[in-house]
Order: sequence, then C-alpha cells, then structure tokens
Amino acid sequence: MIGLNTLIGRNVKLYFKDKGMFLTSLITPVILLVLYATFLRNVYVDSFRSALDAAGVSVPEALINGFVGGQLVSSLLAVSCVTVAFCSNLLMVQDKSSGARHDLTIAPVKPAVLALGYYLASLISALVIALIAVAMCLVYLGFTGWYLSAGDVAGLIGGVVLLVLFGTALSSCIVFPLSTQGQASAVGTIVSSGYGFVCGAYMPISSFSAGLQRVMSFLPGTYGTGILRNCAMEGSFAEMRRLGFPEEVVQSIRDSVDCNVYFYGTRVGLPAMYLILAGSILALIGLYVLLNSRTKKGA
Amino acid sequence: METIIEIDHLHKSYGKVAAVQDLSFRVREGELFAFLGVNGAGKSTTIHILCGQLPKDSGRVFICGRNLETSLDEIKRSLGVVFQGSVLDKELSVRDNLKSRAALYGISGRAFEARLDALAQLLEFGELLKRPVGRLSGGQRRRIDIARALLHQPKILILDEPTTGLDPQTRSILWKVVGQLRKQEQLTVFLTTHYMEEAADADDVVILDHGKIAAEGTPLSLKNTYTADYITLYGVQEQQVQELGRPYEALRDGYRVAVPNTAAATELIVQHPALFRDYEITKGRMDDVFLAVTGKQLPGGAEK
Repeated sequence: MIGLNTLIGRNVKLYFKDKGMFLTSLITPVILLVLYATFLRNVYVDSFRSALDAAGVSVPEALINGFVGGQLVSSLLAVSCVTVAFCSNLLMVQDKSSGARHDLTIAPVKPAVLALGYYLASLISALVIALIAVAMCLVYLGFTGWYLSAGDVAGLIGGVVLLVLFGTALSSCIVFPLSTQGQASAVGTIVSSGYGFVCGAYMPISSFSAGLQRVMSFLPGTYGTGILRNCAMEGSFAEMRRLGFPEEVVQSIRDSVDCNVYFYGTRVGLPAMYLILAGSILALIGLYVLLNSRTKKGA
Repeated sequence: METIIEIDHLHKSYGKVAAVQDLSFRVREGELFAFLGVNGAGKSTTIHILCGQLPKDSGRVFICGRNLETSLDEIKRSLGVVFQGSVLDKELSVRDNLKSRAALYGISGRAFEARLDALAQLLEFGELLKRPVGRLSGGQRRRIDIARALLHQPKILILDEPTTGLDPQTRSILWKVVGQLRKQEQLTVFLTTHYMEEAADADDVVILDHGKIAAEGTPLSLKNTYTADYITLYGVQEQQVQELGRPYEALRDGYRVAVPNTAAATELIVQHPALFRDYEITKGRMDDVFLAVTGKQLPGGAEK
C-alpha cells in the first residue's frame, strides 16, 4: 500500500502539531477528572456509605475511597476514549475544508489507503491521549485507594484500547460525510455531551427507566463501560468479599454500579462484553470501508 | 505535436445549473494552453473533471491517450496541479509536506532527496525546507506549491490561476521555470489566469462563457478576429489626426488611431506619408478579445 505509512505519519504529526486539537483532546480527561473528583466524588461516597449504613455494615474508609475511585475512573475513561477519538478524527474534516484532501486525492492513491491512513492515525493519537489518561487515573487511585491487581490494570488498559478502537471506528463513520468545521464542532458537542449518558458513564444504567435500560443494552458503548467498571472495581469487590460481605450484597452493589449488565434479563458476562465490543468494532470498520468504497470517483 | 488532452462533448451540471455544456477541445503536447473565462464560466469544473476529482455527466476525456474512465490512476501520474490557493499543510515544514506528497507517488528515500534537491535549486527554496508552510510569504508558498506539483515529473502541469496576488519577482520565477520545463522536458501547461498578458504568450487559447466555448484559437488569430489594430502617432497635431477620418484617442504624448487590420494601417501610411514619421502599429490586446467575446472584463487587469 503505497504511501500508507507516510499518510499515517503526516496525520499523526498534524494532530500533535495542532495545539488546539491536541490540547483539547488532552484536557478533556483532565477536566473530567477534576469535575468528577470535585463534584461527583462526595455524592458517590455519601450514597455508598448510606447504603452500607442501611445494611448495617461498616467498611474501612480506604475501601470506600477505592470503590468510589474505581467508579469515577471507569466513568471518566469510558467517556474519554470515545470523545478523544472524535477529536483526533476531526483531521478528516479539516483536510476537506482546507483543500488538502484535493491535494491528496489528485495523487494516484487508493481511497482505501486514504481511509486507513485517517483511521490508523486517529487510533494512534487517541491511544496516546487515552493512555496518558489511564496513567493519570492510576495515580489518582494510588492516592485515594488502591485495590487493583496487575491483572486488573492490564484489563483496564486492554479495555481502554478496545474502547479507543471502538471510538475511532464510530467517529470515522460519523465524521466521514462531514465537510465543514461547523458541522464537525456541532457533532463534537453532541457526542461529548451525550455519549457519557448513553454509555452509562455519567449515571448508572440501573437508575434509568426499564425502557431506556433496554435501549441502552443494545448500545455497544454500554458494554465498553461495563468492561472498564469490572476492571477498575474488581479489587474493591474482592476486598468486600474478604471482609465477609455476603455474595448477594456484593452482587447487588455490582448491579447498582453497572458491573453487571443485563440484556433482556440475562446477565452479560465479561467475555461476552469483550466479544460484543470487538464485534461492534469490526462492524463499524466494515461500514467505514463500505462508505469509502462508495465514494464517487472521477469519470 | 501530438494531442495530449482530448475532450469531446463534455457535459456537467449541478442540479439545474449547467456548468459545462458540450465542451470539445484539444491540447497539444508541449504547448502553453490558456483556458480563460470569468468566475463561474466552467473552468474549475473542467479542471476537476480532468483531474478525476469530479465525475462528468457525459462526454469523453482522453489524457496522454488514456481514457479517464478506465485509466484514472495512470492519468493522475501524468498530471501536476497547482491549485488556486495553497493546499499544503500549514503546520508542517516544507520538507515534510513534500515528503508526504511524494510518497503518494511511490517516491521516497534517495529518489525523493534527489528530486527535492533538483526542485529546490530550480525554484530557489533550499533555505525554506525546514520552515512551516504556514509561516511562508505568499510568493514563497507558491514556489512550494509548484514544487509539489512537479514532484513526480508530470507530463502536464495544470496551473489554476497560479499568479493571482503574487509579487512580480515570484511571477517571473514561475514563468522562467515553466518556460525551462517546457523547453527541456516538453511539459504541457494548461493555464487558467485572470492576467491577460500571460494568456497572450499562450500557443492556444480557449475562452469559456457560461460553460460553452465562446472563442478559440491562437492569440494572434483571436486578436485578428475580435479586435482592431492600433497606430500610435507621436509628434503630430490633433487636427492632423482628425484628417485621417479614423476613430482615435488622445494619449499623454500622442494619439492612438484604430484601424480594422494591419493592411488598413499600411494603406493609411501610404496615403499620408508626411504624418507617419514617428509611429508604432500594435495588435489589439487579449483583454480586448476577452471583452469582445464575452462582454465581460476579467478582474486581473489589462494586458501590459
């Protein structure tokens, strides 16, 4: 594939040289972490503590912090992976509005190579930002309450990689028909404000109505959030079990924070969540390839 | 010379607007071909079709003997395009820009370095290689645009209003380089411009109006067909000029008398030898041709 490596290099370089695009992407997880830690942390802590008080159970402060920290971190990463992927994919629109796209397509480069160049470059850029966000989150958990095993950390990183793959594929399909910066920023605003709700990151799915829960069970993002929740909070649940929490209480807590996700009443296991997300990524990449192959050629 | 671009009955519409209507013309190898028209006349649409950026509605396009419909990739290798505005990546350096574009033609490594050196010498931009394109002046950026178009040594160079807004020095470099390449490499140049003095140097001219060919031919034949000749007389009185019985206009230091053609000018000189001591005969200008053909004036100003 002539020029693919160079195209990827060009796109990644442009992304990191564009201070606006790079800093906006980088700042998103930082802002979310600060907002979560400042405003939501206390709400989560109070709600968890009152539930424990009602059940007549007492747990160490560190476990409460570790549990809530895991919830915050998984929410933040679930949202960031997708919104950052959207930001990094905006180069596709920028190239159309600046005319650079004409300069690229004037060359005998296959549409598939161009498309792959954008996809892989966005993936690399988004991964860099997302992994920085993971590092920030792990540092945050280190300060507030650490209950993660090496496997949990590896799972968290794997989940983030999958979600970035998903976010990049989703954004590639959505951004593909856009041609102006105005359209791009409108879509960016909608995604960044709405995705957190529809993937269950801002509010637990269990707090929504039954109908809405059913709709959300069809969205792959829900399972992405579920994977991150399981990885970031599994250590806390293990500690609860070690402290003698009955299994039904643990499961009830897992239900309340979306570690257990249900599809028509059946609990979806972690391997199934990975499969659903992987399948969605493949389907979206297929759609992206299809969209590109249907691009009108000259003549 | 062989035909290198062949367009037959080309049609393209945007909804109900017919941008190009039944366009047919030929461009011969190695010639400077001027494609003129006001904005919206159909020039850019035709160029976009030639470059495979826009599908045509009907008609046939052959470039270097290849059909656009079946050999687009091969045709793209023989075309270099300088767009109206710079379309390079402003954040990247000149070298990075040219490197990324060259790779699209399979030019990399030593082949790229050699080509870059040659172009940097030709277009005098060696000292600009590390600078971001966004920080270059308009003239410097134009030189890089031309280098980009020439990276893969195309047979046809499409210049879409290449000198608009350029300083005289850069315009002169551009035309020097184009002239050199035409002479040395038989490069065919397909030019759209608003500057009539550039069109006056063309081998062949097509004037488009509302998507149709309004006139075509060499600059000389167009001038002979659509404009008058002029005799400029110096050191005479206005009364003497009036006696010639021809329309005239007063200049700062003489009078310009319109005559239908060079033969009529000769006849006038023979009839009034005493008057013609210090004079010059000039053909009509290309902007007069354009005005006569389309009834419109191009914004690029008069031919100098």
